[in-house]
Amino acid sequence: MAVRTAQRKSAQLETAQPDSAQPESAKAADGRHTTAPVHRPTLLGLLLRGAVYAALAYFVLVFLSRNEDIAGRATDAVVFAIIGLSLHILIGYTGQLSLGHQGFQGVGAFTAAYVSFEKGVPFVLAIAIAMLVGALFALLLGFIALRITGLYLALITLVFGITLKDSLFELESITGGGAGAEAVRPEVLQSNVRYYFLCLAILTVVLYIDWRLTRTKAGRALLALRENERVASAFGINVTAFKLFAFVLSGALAGLAGALFVYRFGATSSGDYEFNDALTFVLMVVVGGLGSRVGVVLGSVLFSALGLRYLLDYEPIKEFLSGIFAERSQFIPDAIGAFLLLTTLIFNPGGIAQQLQPITRWLGGKKFTLHGDHDSGPAVVEGSSARA
Amino acid sequence: MPVLEVRDLSIRFGGLQALEGVNIDVNEWEIVGLIGPNGAGKTTAFNCITGFYKPNTGTVRYRGEDVTRMAPHRKAAMGFGRTFQNVGMVKSATALENLKTAQHAKVSYDVASGLAGSSASWREERELEQKADAILDLLDLSSIRNTRVGGLSYGTLKLLELGCALATDPDILLLDEPSSGMGPEESDELGERLLVLRKEFGLTMLLIEHHVPLVLRVCDHVYVLNFGRLLAEGQPSVIQTHPEVVAAYLGGEAPEALAQTTETASDAALDEATAGALDGADSNGSAAPRRRTTTRKAPAKRSEPSSTAPATRSRAKKTAAAPVDATDPDVSEVSAEPDVAPEPETPRAAPVAAKAPTRRARRKAAESTVSPSAAEGESA
Repeated sequence: MAVRTAQRKSAQLETAQPDSAQPESAKAADGRHTTAPVHRPTLLGLLLRGAVYAALAYFVLVFLSRNEDIAGRATDAVVFAIIGLSLHILIGYTGQLSLGHQGFQGVGAFTAAYVSFEKGVPFVLAIAIAMLVGALFALLLGFIALRITGLYLALITLVFGITLKDSLFELESITGGGAGAEAVRPEVLQSNVRYYFLCLAILTVVLYIDWRLTRTKAGRALLALRENERVASAFGINVTAFKLFAFVLSGALAGLAGALFVYRFGATSSGDYEFNDALTFVLMVVVGGLGSRVGVVLGSVLFSALGLRYLLDYEPIKEFLSGIFAERSQFIPDAIGAFLLLTTLIFNPGGIAQQLQPITRWLGGKKFTLHGDHDSGPAVVEGSSARA
Repeated sequence: MPVLEVRDLSIRFGGLQALEGVNIDVNEWEIVGLIGPNGAGKTTAFNCITGFYKPNTGTVRYRGEDVTRMAPHRKAAMGFGRTFQNVGMVKSATALENLKTAQHAKVSYDVASGLAGSSASWREERELEQKADAILDLLDLSSIRNTRVGGLSYGTLKLLELGCALATDPDILLLDEPSSGMGPEESDELGERLLVLRKEFGLTMLLIEHHVPLVLRVCDHVYVLNFGRLLAEGQPSVIQTHPEVVAAYLGGEAPEALAQTTETASDAALDEATAGALDGADSNGSAAPRRRTTTRKAPAKRSEPSSTAPATRSRAKKTAAAPVDATDPDVSEVSAEPDVAPEPETPRAAPVAAKAPTRRARRKAAESTVSPSAAEGESA
């Protein structure tokens, strides 16, 4: 009987839909709150947008691959962007604050170095294994996150990262101890320029996955459980499974970034995974803009430049700063980071993404306006890190 | 076979017996009300039924299957749709996104193919959107389609939440105070809507409601909870004038309220069913133990074949007739109106009386000692 009634009901629901769905879509077109008149860009507008896209493509594909040095620095930024997107899945979508993300990155890096240098596993497979191991470690943390939430979870992730650095990453047999582990790129990728393009391609795939995540049931499930786990379960969402899924996905991406990182420099040691790095990762996600993948990428690029001190390497700036701060100039990136975080939290919670919204919206084919729209677009996370 | 069959449900939070020996039956196509003073355990009962709390004793059966220990999300997938007292939705998402989220359990593509962007996932996403639009249309909420839910008024939120519960494609709908935040007119409209929804989607409903006219209007059967125990049950019109119920709402013996109530034919039937609990009502001390016996006896009687006790089984007849008559607004209006007229809000409008402080104190104790996670841990 149960089955029959269920069928009857779903049949009713099905039949009810097509009739009502039709007038609905018509109604939506002139609805008050809907993005009523669809903005059709003029020819000039299209050309302008095309020009901006072309300039961006030129910058990313040509300018940044000019020579080995610049391509290498651009690769760092790309790897940072992957880490940022990985962390964003936890902080932005799932509402779980991770202060130990450098741990996952390190796990990926050392795994890739170990299997490729010690065991002779090929490049692609080594990256896959690094992702798998990163995911496993994240799963471990995920199980803890099922029991503990909020500030305490943040503390545990913090301890997790620091402990990994001081214990696992110091293991002589796997990581080479203080001397560090080596990883050599295959012959075809020896050039920094080629490696840059590979990393860029991988970032594109990660961005695609991130985009699909927010547009399908998994992303909606994460957003729902971030806000209210009870409501999520009332919607039929398996909160436990999706929380673990978020950790696994995030850990796999962090492992990927770690592997790319170690191949970029050819070697790594436990000193590369300080707690400071975890803070930088959180900063770049928050300053970039929670809820916006473009913002996260831009924030990551900015902080990679700051963190690796490339911005301060520029000779005139370097001289100017060392003239004032002398030996203390190494703390300047941290100070800038803290300043950016404060301004973000106080003045624009949406981060860089919020500041750029008029432009990104325009590039998306909408009318150029300085007013923020509250009715559409990706769900901006309001202070989720504070709540986490 | 009832759609939902709750037997001997008890749950204890620390020193507070939140529910004790509660029995609830909800039959196919019925709209059953669950009423009671604040802190009586209504929402706790909901949480036990939908799996958020694990009851200490008792069973919850859904169409004959024991689902007492089943996880909430599996129950939702099975056909338990529910709303929350304080609006359960994703506040940072738009109405449309919420309705799509609510269809989670009905989505057939898996997470990986969604991430990969398979054509099946694209197609199904479009279907989800159509279904969401259909629900918005049904509730006249199309204008807020792309509005973030966080900024909506409370009444609209409650209505949209009902839409989300519908989007889970429920078989039985559990509504926790659906009319809160609504004015009298909106709440009348809601009553109308619930009846229409039952007809269109073939729904069975259990609702917690404080708004008496709405209860009288839509419910086929009403259960009254007080201090975690079933105080009475019966047709809404009977319950409205039931002296013990009135007393419970007024918080004491309330002699004047008792004096005002009039005996009806159905009252006599109820008296029979509740095995003379009435005469215990004049002295509060002796009433309590008798109530307990009452609630334990009632289900036993109700499970007898209806032919043996036709007088007490007026509900059974109603059940059979429900799909036809209750969904027809005119018919049910005729039966409900006369009862509404004389004193529609007696229980609600009554100010705090003699016993109220005690109840408040108990509620406070409940709030301070009860932490859901602790309770879950305890039972786990």
